[in-house]
Amino acid sequence: SVLRFPLSPPQRPLHASVVLRRTSDERQKEPGAASSQFDSGPGPLPEQESRGPHPSYTGQGGQESEDFESEEQLQHRILTAALEFVPEHGWTAEAIAEGAKTLGLSSAAAGMFHSDGSELILHFVSQCNTKLSEMLEQEQKLVQLGEAEKKPMDQFLRDAVEARLRMLIPYIEKWPQALSILLLPHNIPSSLNLLTSMIDDIWHYAGDQSTDFNWYTRRAVLTGVYNTTELVMLQDSSPDFEDTWRFLENRVADVMNMGSTANQVQSTGEALVQGLMGAAVTIKNLAGMNQRR
Amino acid sequence: VYQVFESVAKKYDVMNDSMTLGIHRVWKDILVHKMNPSPGTLLLDVAGGTGDIAFRFINYVRASRERQLQRKLRHHQNLSWQEISESYQEDKSNSLGDSQVVVCDINKEMLKVGKQKAQHLGYSAGLSWVLGNAEELPFDDDKFDVYTIAFGIRNVTRIDLALQEAYRVLKPGGRFLCLEFSHVSNPLLSRLYDLYSFQVIPVLGEVIAGDWKSYQYLVESIRRFPPQEEFKAMIEDAGFFKVDYQNLNFGIVAIHSGFKL
Repeated sequence: SVLRFPLSPPQRPLHASVVLRRTSDERQKEPGAASSQFDSGPGPLPEQESRGPHPSYTGQGGQESEDFESEEQLQHRILTAALEFVPEHGWTAEAIAEGAKTLGLSSAAAGMFHSDGSELILHFVSQCNTKLSEMLEQEQKLVQLGEAEKKPMDQFLRDAVEARLRMLIPYIEKWPQALSILLLPHNIPSSLNLLTSMIDDIWHYAGDQSTDFNWYTRRAVLTGVYNTTELVMLQDSSPDFEDTWRFLENRVADVMNMGSTANQVQSTGEALVQGLMGAAVTIKNLAGMNQRR
Repeated sequence: VYQVFESVAKKYDVMNDSMTLGIHRVWKDILVHKMNPSPGTLLLDVAGGTGDIAFRFINYVRASRERQLQRKLRHHQNLSWQEISESYQEDKSNSLGDSQVVVCDINKEMLKVGKQKAQHLGYSAGLSWVLGNAEELPFDDDKFDVYTIAFGIRNVTRIDLALQEAYRVLKPGGRFLCLEFSHVSNPLLSRLYDLYSFQVIPVLGEVIAGDWKSYQYLVESIRRFPPQEEFKAMIEDAGFFKVDYQNLNFGIVAIHSGFKL
């Protein structure tokens, strides 16, 4: 489910406000088809709701469906519009103010968000994760329909991480700033959540090709690969980030090897144990204890 | 109410300082900081009489604008001399970045004091003074980015009308900010506060401004004003969204904020 709202004329927010009050009165209707829920991670806006449950989108067909909008949806629209201004203004309230202006709202609307730009960044990360999920879903469909080859595990992981990291390219200059804001104590729960659900998603679509890892290990390992590659990307000045992708290739290869090393260790272990058993039996024979009279 | 402020106008600032022990300056600073205005913002300050909020707004926007220009210059390396001189000129003529503040007050005396203060402190660009009633503002619809009313709304007879007017004159996306005395929930503090209000303030009023009655009125009007949650509901009734409040000093003062969405 991608955010897709028709561009509204400046009158619309007024209309939306009239309609918002109606929706908050009729809370029983079900959310319509085009809801703005993200499937990966929690909603990026940890806002305190001042009037009880969120007025929900009630896009039932017919009558007044298309123009209904909740506060949350409007906020998402503002943040999406603000992304365009990030390369120039950074992840700041100013970018949000500019975004609001393109929607026909006053720049004061940026006051709805935290002044450090946290929500903008979380919104962006959430959007990227959603895009990645959709991409992987599409790929999977093609494979199921037989229109594409199923990729080997290492290729799959490399492609997924590369695709996700490429989404940062337009914002790469200001990304270090974003990372430092995501590490602020009040943002860590949300940002960690988004990261882990993205990694889980990738493993989910990678299918259950046995690698002998348990779930936690797989998650931790891929998170490590993703984070280190991201950091390398921030300092990479090679054309089209070749160095980064090469680094990624090596890391994923390490992950694969780790799998087989674990195998080797296990089979070596088994062989060792068998050898010991054999030695013990031989000694017993020599000592004459195995004889059965 | 009108006569109270007529007599109070000249000594208004002095009384504010002595009554609140100067803390009112901090409260007003916090209000403007919360507003976080970007250059180009159009502010309407209602009941803003002596201009405290307006001046702070101008300072904030000026500083913000300077930072903006510095950042722009840093990005543009290799400018020609022509471009550099042009940017300096733009600097001089647009130090506020097109931001403006309109101070509206029902009382001529308060406006007069405000204008004098502005002249004295050197504020001229982006500032206008308008005589008007909060219940019936002399402005068109959808005009302003931010509407503030600092320590003024409790003096309005029909608060709901003032809120509706605020809604009307704000642009879509615009913000309503109200700084006002409110209710202290902490019982111990509440008792101390009552003591201070009823015993000390009217005395100060008599000593400094020669006016016991006005300050008695002031303290009573503070008590009569609806508490935080109730005021928040009133703001929502006027049509604002994302209404929230922030207590300062345990509720002695509260900032209510709402958006026209």
